[in-house]
Amino acid sequence: MADSFTLPLRPVVEQQNRPDTLPVEIAQINSQWGSFRDVNEEVLRAKIAEEEARDGALSEDGEGESSDVDTTERLEQLYKRRADITQFAMQSHMETTFALDFVSLLLSKHAPRQAETSMSAYLKQIAPVGSLHSEVVNPPPKPESASKDVSTVSRGWRTQNFNSAANKLLTASTRLEGEITSETRYWNEVLAIKENGWKVCRLPRERQALGVQYGFLEATPVFRDRGLASLRRAENGSLILDKGLIPSGSRFVRVHVKQGSNVFTSSNPTESTSPDVETIEQRILQARDSVFEEELFHELVREARSMASSGVTTRENLIRIPASDEMEIQLELVDSNDDSLQSDQNSPQRDSLLADGLAHSIRLLLAFAHRQNMHRRTQMPPPLTSKKRHTPEYHLLRPALAYLQHLSSVKWLESYFSDIFGVLRSSGLEPAEYISDTFSTWKQISLSPVAPRVEALVEKFLRPIQSVFRGQLLTPNGSFAVTIQTNLSGPPFGTFFDVSFDLPTVSDLKSPGRLGMRDEVESAITHLLLLDVVSNIASKELPAKKAESPEPTGSRKCKWDAVYPHLGELLLSSENPEKHKKMKVSLTRSGLGLSSYVVRSIDGVGRGAQERPSLHSQPSTWKSPSISASTPDNGSSMMNFIVAQASHDE
Amino acid sequence: MSALTSDQIKVLEQSRQRLVQLTRSLGSLIASLNQSDPLPPWSSLQSQASIISNNLVSVSEHLSDHRDLLSSLVAYPGPDYPGRTQASTLEQLLRTKLDPRVQDWVARGRTAGTEPPAVDASNLNSSAIAAAAHAQKPLSETELADLWEWAPIEANQEARRRNWGGNFTLEEREAGIQNVVTGLKRQLEDDEGSEDEEEEEEDEEGEDEMEVVGVHRKSGGNGFEFEIAPHHAHAVEPVVPLADILRYMTTGRMQ
Amino acid sequence: MHELLLFASVPVHQHHELLQQLTGLTAMQPRHLVERRLIFKAYRKPGLVTSRVGGSQDLQQSGDLQRVNKMLNGGMFYTQVVGPVSESDFSTSGPADPDTQMEGMDESKPTAQGTSTYDYEQQPWKLEFRDIPEAGTRSAVTSRVMASASLPCGDIIPSMNAWGYSFVTEYVVEGDVFIQNDIVIYLHRVLHYPSGEQEHREPRRHLPVLKEMTPLEKSGSYVLQASINVLDGSNQETMKTASQRLFGLREQLKSAVRLEQADRLSLDTRAK
Repeated sequence: MADSFTLPLRPVVEQQNRPDTLPVEIAQINSQWGSFRDVNEEVLRAKIAEEEARDGALSEDGEGESSDVDTTERLEQLYKRRADITQFAMQSHMETTFALDFVSLLLSKHAPRQAETSMSAYLKQIAPVGSLHSEVVNPPPKPESASKDVSTVSRGWRTQNFNSAANKLLTASTRLEGEITSETRYWNEVLAIKENGWKVCRLPRERQALGVQYGFLEATPVFRDRGLASLRRAENGSLILDKGLIPSGSRFVRVHVKQGSNVFTSSNPTESTSPDVETIEQRILQARDSVFEEELFHELVREARSMASSGVTTRENLIRIPASDEMEIQLELVDSNDDSLQSDQNSPQRDSLLADGLAHSIRLLLAFAHRQNMHRRTQMPPPLTSKKRHTPEYHLLRPALAYLQHLSSVKWLESYFSDIFGVLRSSGLEPAEYISDTFSTWKQISLSPVAPRVEALVEKFLRPIQSVFRGQLLTPNGSFAVTIQTNLSGPPFGTFFDVSFDLPTVSDLKSPGRLGMRDEVESAITHLLLLDVVSNIASKELPAKKAESPEPTGSRKCKWDAVYPHLGELLLSSENPEKHKKMKVSLTRSGLGLSSYVVRSIDGVGRGAQERPSLHSQPSTWKSPSISASTPDNGSSMMNFIVAQASHDE
Repeated sequence: MSALTSDQIKVLEQSRQRLVQLTRSLGSLIASLNQSDPLPPWSSLQSQASIISNNLVSVSEHLSDHRDLLSSLVAYPGPDYPGRTQASTLEQLLRTKLDPRVQDWVARGRTAGTEPPAVDASNLNSSAIAAAAHAQKPLSETELADLWEWAPIEANQEARRRNWGGNFTLEEREAGIQNVVTGLKRQLEDDEGSEDEEEEEEDEEGEDEMEVVGVHRKSGGNGFEFEIAPHHAHAVEPVVPLADILRYMTTGRMQ
Repeated sequence: MHELLLFASVPVHQHHELLQQLTGLTAMQPRHLVERRLIFKAYRKPGLVTSRVGGSQDLQQSGDLQRVNKMLNGGMFYTQVVGPVSESDFSTSGPADPDTQMEGMDESKPTAQGTSTYDYEQQPWKLEFRDIPEAGTRSAVTSRVMASASLPCGDIIPSMNAWGYSFVTEYVVEGDVFIQNDIVIYLHRVLHYPSGEQEHREPRRHLPVLKEMTPLEKSGSYVLQASINVLDGSNQETMKTASQRLFGLREQLKSAVRLEQADRLSLDTRAK
């Protein structure tokens, strides 16, 4: 079997039907059984029986060989080779022992003590020292052919051994060359990754392997540690990104905004790559995106749990947030290459701006949170205590929700103002335009000298959002201001309206201050405007009535007197106690109403049964143009009305 | 016929010693095979194999050096040998017939030596080189002898033109090692001094290689550790002990 | 409060490399730090007469100082007053630096002091008290009681004198700070003021050219100090956690530097 004299140190390719020549068998028999002389029938029979038993096992082995060489088979083969080596070694050992015994016994005649040391125990037992004699004789010269034969044999083996050595060297060099090619390829690819700016480093747990760091150092430890994958070498030298036990699929957070029956969905923020054309860089990018998205969802869930009191619910891969009014936001962790989602995408997307905006904002805020972590981590640490430090939930959802909540309040207030000012205008009044400064806190430029500009920019979104509405009243020097403030990042939570008035004509008027409910705000401002209208009427000088001016003082100035401004009531007193006139103003978001009465009482202030509607007047109303698209039904302005009412005599 | 001279006894004694070594090395191979499961480390196997091979060469050289003496030496049992009871052992000791397997081995060598080696091709690993060699007319005896005389010197010269150790190849060094892109931040030392390694006999070279492998494996295992604290060419060790610096920082005095 | 520490001496040739290694290890850029350090020595038991001295009014207001005072318990110690400075606080040029003068910086007067915007009156100070390290602790870290307190800006000599301390000497420490895992890693060295100046009896009001400051250790070597503070030194669990963290760092830096416990007597702050 062995062509050369070298020991088979590596597995030789199994040759089927290799010639097991007779001499080898004889030698085997010699070594296993001793001399043929000791072999008798009985021993052979026993042996045959044993062989038969083993044959069964061997044939089973034979069947297995056709299949792939698995571990057990390789192990079996290994033990077989091992037995071969051992057997060769024993055989050689025996032969050399014989030779040694022979020389030792021969020498024991001349140098007994020395020679005895190398005699086998067995020989020492049976052969007395010096029992082998030797003499030098003059042997007949060996025939030429004999020495020639020796040199032929040696030449033959030498040639063959050179051949076999050459083969081995060539195989080794081929293998080495292949190895060099793939190593070169591997290192080139590693270098390319490094040149693209990725951090290539040693793996902490496996010092011999290279890894690439694509994750986020400031992420929560479990995700931070996932940001490192080893760069293994494939057989051909190409890079394999080995993320260990982490599933290879990529996932991302999808935002759905449900408004009534409409659902708007954010798009996949990451480029979807088809798996066939992936380069190693793309795979790294994908791994990075995926770890970021999963961290994002993890942090979203953490934050959502802390917001359970506001109706936020979480499930394994879904967060539902009742945002405002009729809007619900759903955040979902989905597989990038989920086909069912792709078909979803095809449905017409009218406007997913909000969904996309939300999707972007939560990602920006996570990146911002990372930066904050970096700042915190590199600050002088506080002394250690036994208390565990709690990592506060990141502000990812809350700023977005605050925005939505605030936006909704702003829109509501705008629509309210537009209604009520419409009412006033339709009545012929000319209130000044109100000024709105929405999201004013976001517009302020406050660049911290320490924090980078980007961080300062994002930091604003975490602060309370504020919008201010200001307007002048009809009454000179009268003004109002409404400040809407929304804060979900810290107490006081929620949206508040700060309403302040300045109406000089009504001395006992106090600003309502901080209000929480929209109804309260609406009624407060409506009331203010009512007072304003009343003041406005009261300040109007009525034309003097010529007929009814018996007084010598000439034309007396007469005015509507705001007797009960808070109730919208004015009085026009007359000399005739039977003919006091009273006017009532009512103002709502949808309309302004005026009606006048004749009051019979001494001072004209009394109320109740003495009132009766004025004969010449129908109650007049002005509605908001947005409610009734037509022109004011009475076609005249409020001021005409009050003048008219004042001049009519009952 | 004459008795052995002391010189001749010395030759026999040398044979004995070499055989002792060979027997021992074989014995230790067997022992290490038996002690390990499944096999001893390949490096240890290989070194044992090479020791055995060395011992064999030494026995063989000795035998051929003293061929004349050894072939004229006749051994026979003395009267005090218990020939009657221990005949078979005597037979073993004096046996000159080769073991059947060895006989076969000799026969195959003979065939390969006399006939064109193509006959034996079935037994050889079929590689392109072998095939090419077989396709050509085999070399004559003298041609072979010439080739074998020329080859070792030529191979040796070729080998000398390479630097087998060190961080740079001869070509790289000739082109200037500063141009070599290693991709490493640390500076590789150009250990040109170690070039004077002698290419010696094949066997010893084999041993050298073994050592080289061992060293590489070791440095590969700890290589990264070294990378962190590389040796500086111009190291300046602090003069003032750390304790004195701390004392100064604490009290404003060195003592 | 307790402070646990490990130290290592860093030869100057290793400095740059260690900075890079620490940057990588802590994943942060080094924060350069230059500090004035004033050494004070108690000449009488502190705190005994403070209430009668007007100059110590500022000090008395500080709750921190009250605490430190209580801790000293009448012992006499060396203590440090530390004030952060920036490199721009040092003079831009001086007489010993003709090169810079050649560059046409005409504003620099030929007087001994170069130009500097340094305002001594605005210099903030902090009192840093350290006890002698605990003896016989079996753990292989230096552990000592510490306390610090803010001091008024500017001239603190009257206050310190009133407090029972006299000025001994001052030096500058420059180095880089890294933070990892609650450990403050400070790679620093001591700089002497230029030797030409005569001995100062009180803190300098001007700072010399930084380049003219000479390292205390002539070869320019650095000291690596890793420290971690523990609020409650009697809490064995927290103390253990703290030393474990230091050992962790020691292990990570093992191949670069050898962090060790300091010789206890070299940190002896007792005034004899």
